[in-house]
Amino acid sequence: MKLSADNLSHIADEYVLGLLSEAEAAEVENEIERNSALANAVAEARERFLPLDTNIDPAAVSPDLWDSIATRLPEQATAAEPSIASVSPRVPMAGNDNARTGWRATAISAVAASLMLAVGLVWSMARVAEPLVVAVLLNEAGEVQAVVEDFGNDTASIRLLTDFNVPADRTMQVWTLPSREMGPMSLGLLEDAHSARLSGSTLPKPQDAQLYEITLEQAGGSPTGRPTGPILAKGFAKLAR
Amino acid sequence: MSAAKTAEMEYSQLREYSGREDSLTLVTDQSTDFEAALAACAKGDRSGLRDIFDAEAGRLVAVAQRILKRRELAEEVVQEAFIRIWTHAHQYRPERGSARGWIYAIVRNRALNMLRDGSREDLVAEDRLETMQDGEQLEQIMAAWHRLDHNSRLKECLGRLDEARRRGILMAYVGGYTHGEIAGRLRLPLGTAKSWIRRGLLTLRECMA
Repeated sequence: MKLSADNLSHIADEYVLGLLSEAEAAEVENEIERNSALANAVAEARERFLPLDTNIDPAAVSPDLWDSIATRLPEQATAAEPSIASVSPRVPMAGNDNARTGWRATAISAVAASLMLAVGLVWSMARVAEPLVVAVLLNEAGEVQAVVEDFGNDTASIRLLTDFNVPADRTMQVWTLPSREMGPMSLGLLEDAHSARLSGSTLPKPQDAQLYEITLEQAGGSPTGRPTGPILAKGFAKLAR
Repeated sequence: MSAAKTAEMEYSQLREYSGREDSLTLVTDQSTDFEAALAACAKGDRSGLRDIFDAEAGRLVAVAQRILKRRELAEEVVQEAFIRIWTHAHQYRPERGSARGWIYAIVRNRALNMLRDGSREDLVAEDRLETMQDGEQLEQIMAAWHRLDHNSRLKECLGRLDEARRRGILMAYVGGYTHGEIAGRLRLPLGTAKSWIRRGLLTLRECMA
């Protein structure tokens, strides 16, 4: 998808109509942050079609719907992304800048820790381990792209089952969503688009149906610590048994 | 003025309508309400979210159900959407469209994500094709257009499109259909369906400009 002044309105329309692929929609959501012409085109398209939604007869809502929302609301300062797929770069709240710096520091130290632990991996590989969960990652067309085995001991193995075409200035990054509260967490980068064992992410024990995902990020990994690029493959884990 | 009329009708469904203010006041009040409610959410005031819920939850569930066809999935979507509205309220920018449109977009995106998420076995394409054959959903989709206020610019401009283009656009927006599903339903090659929709959207933009 190439954005230009010519097709901007059309892409905005197709985005609002839900006609873009997941990767293209993610691209639009990223681009919107810095491209005000696109942001305006999307806003206009939304307003154009909105009456088709607002003129609908209201449904009778379950009496406990509000309660189930209210009990799940996080405190505002620690608001988490609800899912990887819908993630967009986080804009810090006013007066919350230090929280973001903390986030960065965490991300940087996590990268440093993962490098250190990669060295220790040679040692830990000697121990035979069984994965706790296995996730088969599919692309948008439903084709198998990769398999993730998460050992739950800070180590996950990612086996690529197809060739990925990764531009020189990009890198593949592996993510998982341990919980809505934590939001998407990076498992690490796949250098040179090769299978790898990633280590050092101290995350909760992987669960059944946990989401795993590979995105295309700028070289060195996502600058925000959250997925920002198009999704190459994703899938839900199954408990190994 | 057509927009004012529509908003007025909705407003009167929404709350006790005193009938004293004129419709323009109502429109202004209404948009201010949602903006103020989002600002309250961003500050951590739950009553802001509750106001949005009280005003729109019924319609938002209906919109999600029109896409997902199942009530329990629609409520799941709306539940997730309200949590996202809460956590992202600080990102809303009034210069980027109405607060109400922003709220609906969040629900729509989540409903589409759930629909397209291959893990939902109950929502795979084959099922959708079968269900489509009964035509009930298509009827519902076209009803969204018929129901628009007769002064509505959108209604008029959609009405000027060729039947197939109008259907394609409505199937996408109202029903959450993909290009492929629209092509299948309208019995057109994929490329033809895409270009018809593209031209339909262009005509619509020009008509509503």
